[in-house]
Amino acid sequence: MEGFLANLLNGLSWGMLLFLISIGLTTIFGVMGVLNFAHGSLFMLGAYLCMQFVRWVGSFWIGLLLGPPIVAVLSILLERFLLRPLYSRDVSFQLLLTFGVMLFLDDGVRLIWGAAYHVVNPPQILAGVIQLFSQSYPVYRLFLVILGPLVGIALWAFFSFTRWGKILRAAAMDRQMAEIVGVRVPMMYTAVFGFGAWLAALGGALAAPHQSVGPAMGERIIIESFIVVVIGGMGSFPGAFAGALILGMLNSFGTTFLPDVQMALPYILLAVILLTRPRGLFGGEA
Amino acid sequence: MKRKSLAVVLALGVGLLIAGSGFAADKPVKIGFVYIMSGPFATYGQFAKQGAELAIDEINKAGGINGRKVEAIFEDDTGKPDVGIRVIRKLVYENEVDIVMGIDSSGVASAVAPVMKELKTPLIITHAAVPDVTGTNCNRYTFRVSLNINQNISMASSIAAEMKAKTWTTAGPDYSFGHQSWEYFQKYLSKKKPDTVFLPRADVAFPPSATTDFSAYVTKIMNSKADGVLISLWGGNLIDFVRQAGDMGFFDGKREILMTLGAATEVLYALKEKMPEGIWVGTRYWFQANNTPINKAFVDAYLKRFNVYPSYNAHGAYGAVKTYAAAAGKAKSVEKEKIVDALEGLSIELPVGTIFIRPEDHQAVTDGVWGKTAADPQMPIRILKPIRAFAGKDITPTVDETGCKIK
Amino acid sequence: MNSLLRGHVLPASLILLALMAAPLFLSMYGVIVLTEILTMSLFALSFNLLFGYTGLLSFGQAGFFGAGSYFAVLTLIHGPDSLWAAMAAAFIGSAVLAVVIGWFCVRLDEIYFAILTLGFGMMLFTIAHNWRSVTGGSDGLGNFTLPELNLFGWGVNLFNPINFYFLVLLITALGALLLFRVVNSPFGLLLRGTRENSLRVSFVGANVRAVRLFAFILAGALAGLAGALFAFFNRIASPEMLHWSFSGKAVLMTILGGSGVYLGPAVGAAIFFVLEHVITAYTTNWMIFLGGILVVLVLAFPKGVLGSLLGLLTRRWKGPKP
Repeated sequence: MEGFLANLLNGLSWGMLLFLISIGLTTIFGVMGVLNFAHGSLFMLGAYLCMQFVRWVGSFWIGLLLGPPIVAVLSILLERFLLRPLYSRDVSFQLLLTFGVMLFLDDGVRLIWGAAYHVVNPPQILAGVIQLFSQSYPVYRLFLVILGPLVGIALWAFFSFTRWGKILRAAAMDRQMAEIVGVRVPMMYTAVFGFGAWLAALGGALAAPHQSVGPAMGERIIIESFIVVVIGGMGSFPGAFAGALILGMLNSFGTTFLPDVQMALPYILLAVILLTRPRGLFGGEA
Repeated sequence: MKRKSLAVVLALGVGLLIAGSGFAADKPVKIGFVYIMSGPFATYGQFAKQGAELAIDEINKAGGINGRKVEAIFEDDTGKPDVGIRVIRKLVYENEVDIVMGIDSSGVASAVAPVMKELKTPLIITHAAVPDVTGTNCNRYTFRVSLNINQNISMASSIAAEMKAKTWTTAGPDYSFGHQSWEYFQKYLSKKKPDTVFLPRADVAFPPSATTDFSAYVTKIMNSKADGVLISLWGGNLIDFVRQAGDMGFFDGKREILMTLGAATEVLYALKEKMPEGIWVGTRYWFQANNTPINKAFVDAYLKRFNVYPSYNAHGAYGAVKTYAAAAGKAKSVEKEKIVDALEGLSIELPVGTIFIRPEDHQAVTDGVWGKTAADPQMPIRILKPIRAFAGKDITPTVDETGCKIK
Repeated sequence: MNSLLRGHVLPASLILLALMAAPLFLSMYGVIVLTEILTMSLFALSFNLLFGYTGLLSFGQAGFFGAGSYFAVLTLIHGPDSLWAAMAAAFIGSAVLAVVIGWFCVRLDEIYFAILTLGFGMMLFTIAHNWRSVTGGSDGLGNFTLPELNLFGWGVNLFNPINFYFLVLLITALGALLLFRVVNSPFGLLLRGTRENSLRVSFVGANVRAVRLFAFILAGALAGLAGALFAFFNRIASPEMLHWSFSGKAVLMTILGGSGVYLGPAVGAAIFFVLEHVITAYTTNWMIFLGGILVVLVLAFPKGVLGSLLGLLTRRWKGPKP
């Protein structure tokens, strides 16, 4: 029983981090049609900035508050000056550009913070453990498990009830129509990209106390979040949530019960979904 | 006629030798170091670099090797075999080093050893513990001055045999080192305590080196039937594992724990008081294990210069440089073939104690240390108390057992 | 057909001659770097058959490259101790793999194709990484001795980097020639047709999927051959060679050199390694430069270095187009 519960929580906490990064990725794809390879690097940058703020002022919360907006501003510049000239070209070039940005950022953090791994402690209030039956469990991980759905609900409310959210959804559905009714699409693209980057960096900052901070953390999570986005359906919110949960569970239960094939499971799932339901579990009809 | 040509050849040879040695006196002796300088094990490369620099500075201050200055070139193999081969080729062909030292990862060591035969350049392994490079895969150019898995695990099994645990599992890195540590542990412990049970492959944990979230593996071990855990994780993996496992109540005293590389100061500095007390940990060298003047001098010099206590990896690099200098003195040359001959059967006192390089398999017979982690208010890190020393000859398998056939 | 090739015979012979003479002028290490460049050129050329000529961005090409290296090494260890047999096994094995994987992949376009190839490539990676008993797990398959190359009964020792260089030159040149014949054949025209407008190609009666599948198989087989050379060169087949980031290298080299020119990827491979060599002499952070260069190329010179140079030259010679 404890084993099941612990596995469930392990999978949930990892899944929620994946969810945060994937909603940004899926929104950017849904609205702009851009698959952002550098998204994992923005996640990583969020973790590094959070670590840096912890070093400077000693507070995790300051890092969580200030780090992600810095990444968002950086991404807005990136979209405005690098990505925008490419919208008229083949999508492959957008993918390649973000791939170049990824290489740049991954090595950039190595240049600034070194190649070694760093450790960030969770904030005092979340540092303890609680007792689950006979086993203890870190409070910080429970915090992640609870935070994920809260962020999801907040975003859902934003998209459903606010003017901006409705515009975004409209633009994602039909860009031309949105332009006709007076939406300033270029500005909206910039805003969406910045927003997606902020979410990725938020995920990174939250991941910092959960695992080691290192230059490879972006490269690893980007592929998993690609899979999440594809499984859920590109552009779909509930899809990202479901996809992240599935991957989190595959990770925790797979490690326990299928150690030899666990690593391959996400890719098999990816291929099956792409071939049978290319629009994903929650994607609309073609 | 025949005699005449022989004389010419001799004269030519002597002339070349003189010219060669005259030229060589100006050229520095070049040592190529290959360590992991990035990723989860980067601090190991850092400590090794410091140890190597300390030894080289000491040698240069004392006049160099055979009167020539020593120069170091460091390369990062990132822990990957193909990168290791690539950088060693670069060191040999481009930098024209006289010898290569280092290698952290067993995977890299296994891949690199046969290549040394082609490059005809000696390699002194200072960390990687895979048995085959001084066993079935041994060759004329490959040496090791550090403990190997055989030796380390033979000590681990001696300690395990005295423990209460009846069922053992493992958490090890998912490459040869982790898998072989587990295989040897089963082999040795079942000899010393035949009724021991070992969990099958599907129930033990081998997280890949890139893992940073170990919670699933911790959960798996805690929910298994095992009451003893052999942990061969090391470096950043071990740091992450101990931190996360600690939060999940892994060290609650319900299971016996052996960490084969737990007494690495790199890890102890990173974990500080998060390293639980009373855990049996192994190492290749422990700075407090002996009181010889040579060890005291090494620890003092290292602490003074780098502000930390030397790790076993720092000692490995330091010891390899000193061993090489001794071999060059014995051979009165740094010519590669002569160095190989001189290293065979060499005996030298290092901070760890006196080591002896067996001529038959090139493995150093060196003393080993295990200890129990303990807190000491005087020290910034966990120390070992008590310390258990094992004599090199008791823990090293015979040459026949290694399967090495160099000659 | 012959008229198509005629204009290329002279430059091709010149390049080949220069490459054959190269060991006379290079240091031993220079020869080793050139060997690596040639191997990776073959890999990048195979990738460009899909990307440049067929319009399919594959992020799984390393899967075939790495599979080829494992097929080759497994043949050396368990099968006949012959390099020719090992290379044949890599070529055929990767081709068979490409038939199976390609059969699925060619159904998708653009980003979906890129992700699906990435997914299949990573599946192969996990097989190499986890099937310890056969593939040696994450340590890879090393610890084999390179046998002598049997050249018409005459044994060539490949421990000598120069001998090895000539083997790689021979195989890469043959592979490049094969590819060249294909892209300049009527079939090549069909390939380009599917890139420009797959709908129209299907209207004239060609089966777009079959055309793409053939390109996919040929690209996979040649990538496998390049992988075999790489495994011989490194004396190891390791899972890293199948990882998606290794596929990224082929993409990078192709973009660097230019995807629109036949030899673009090879020039890209050369630029890649020379740059790496020059930059790492000063700093270990050379990826930051590479990333920056890639961004600039994509933005300003989408035709790549060779493509842009050739464009510049032809404009000067022929004057601006009307």
